[in-house]
Amino acid sequence: MDVFFIIVIVFLLLNIVMGLFRVWRGPAVADRLLTTQLFGTTGMAILMVLAGYLGELTLLNVAITFNVLAILLVISLVKVWKNKKGETK
Amino acid sequence: MSLIIDGLLAILAIYLALQSLLAPRLTQSVFLFFAFGLALALAWIRLAAVDVAITEAAIAAGFLGVLFLDALRDFAPRIPAKNEAVQKQYSKSQTKSLFLPRLTLWAGLGLFLLIALEAVWKIPEGGGLTAAAGTLLPESGVENPVTAVLLNFRAYDTWLEMGVILIGLLAVFAAGGKMAYRKPGVASQDPLLRQVILFFTPVLFLFGAFLLYIGKTGPGGAFQAGVLWGAIGILLHLGGWPFIALMPRWLGQLLLTVGLGFFLVLGFLFMAAGGALFEYPPAYAGILILIIETLAAISIAAALSAIFALLNQIGEEADEIESTT
Repeated sequence: MDVFFIIVIVFLLLNIVMGLFRVWRGPAVADRLLTTQLFGTTGMAILMVLAGYLGELTLLNVAITFNVLAILLVISLVKVWKNKKGETK
Repeated sequence: MSLIIDGLLAILAIYLALQSLLAPRLTQSVFLFFAFGLALALAWIRLAAVDVAITEAAIAAGFLGVLFLDALRDFAPRIPAKNEAVQKQYSKSQTKSLFLPRLTLWAGLGLFLLIALEAVWKIPEGGGLTAAAGTLLPESGVENPVTAVLLNFRAYDTWLEMGVILIGLLAVFAAGGKMAYRKPGVASQDPLLRQVILFFTPVLFLFGAFLLYIGKTGPGGAFQAGVLWGAIGILLHLGGWPFIALMPRWLGQLLLTVGLGFFLVLGFLFMAAGGALFEYPPAYAGILILIIETLAAISIAAALSAIFALLNQIGEEADEIESTT
């Protein structure tokens, strides 16, 4: 069972590494932000699998913290960058 | 077997840290820094420091993220790509003036590394004070050793940390002025944004309160709860209800200082009663720590949302000035 958990976690970590490509390329700020959201979701998945692997349920609190705060970034991006057209910079 | 996870995580964290410093574009740096925050939170968990992981998640994913996005917006229009003459001049003046800051930065970094090396060198064998804290845990009034150390054994340090947040806010006040801060906003007409805010405000409040209370027995506590409650203030501000700016001056000042002030008054009261500073009687320690943590979380939340509100207002005003000229 432990091997299964480890394989899943490594797979999810590699997902983050793949996502870095989009952060690097962009081109728009929105693309990068969506990748960050993907990282947040993947990170939550890793946390939940880790909670099962280590048998420590308090890790779920960390996952929820990531979860409830992820919305802030999106709203902030939409509000803050709303009036800017060329956001490729 | 878990060596694979740890190794991958370590490589990822160091790679992301380097890249977020060295990336050629500001947006790349900022978003790589978010990814770095995530890798760091996971690393803290592998080090069995769940308290720190929650703080890292709350501050890196929530508060810093919003501040960085706001800063990006303010930095982006300064150097228009079309106007090459301006850009060249800008980069020229930059290379000239950057030498001294770079030297200072490297000197500071070297000094910090030396201090860190010395600290690692001097780590006492057998875990240092861990055993001492463990034996005194029943007297502290809480069951989580981290909370016991933060709010009972080393309460003085925590009190100073709360002061640091307040000083940060004062610096922002001093740099930005009060006029922009008190500008009333316009409530958002966007129905989607309204619904999201109406949904997430109670969720954030409840989960913050949960983290505050669970800090007694497990990972959690005032700082984490403060960031989550501060996120409510930021959310409401983004939605056009800048309650921090609209509330009366005395109420804002009270909210900002109540945590620090109550902590200090309590500490001196026990000192007057014959004990040491911040020495609580063991019988009431649990409830006192809960009250202190609640008030501290309120102050931290108010300070964080006030910092964001002020910075964001300045950005909006700068935009208006730009558009009129």
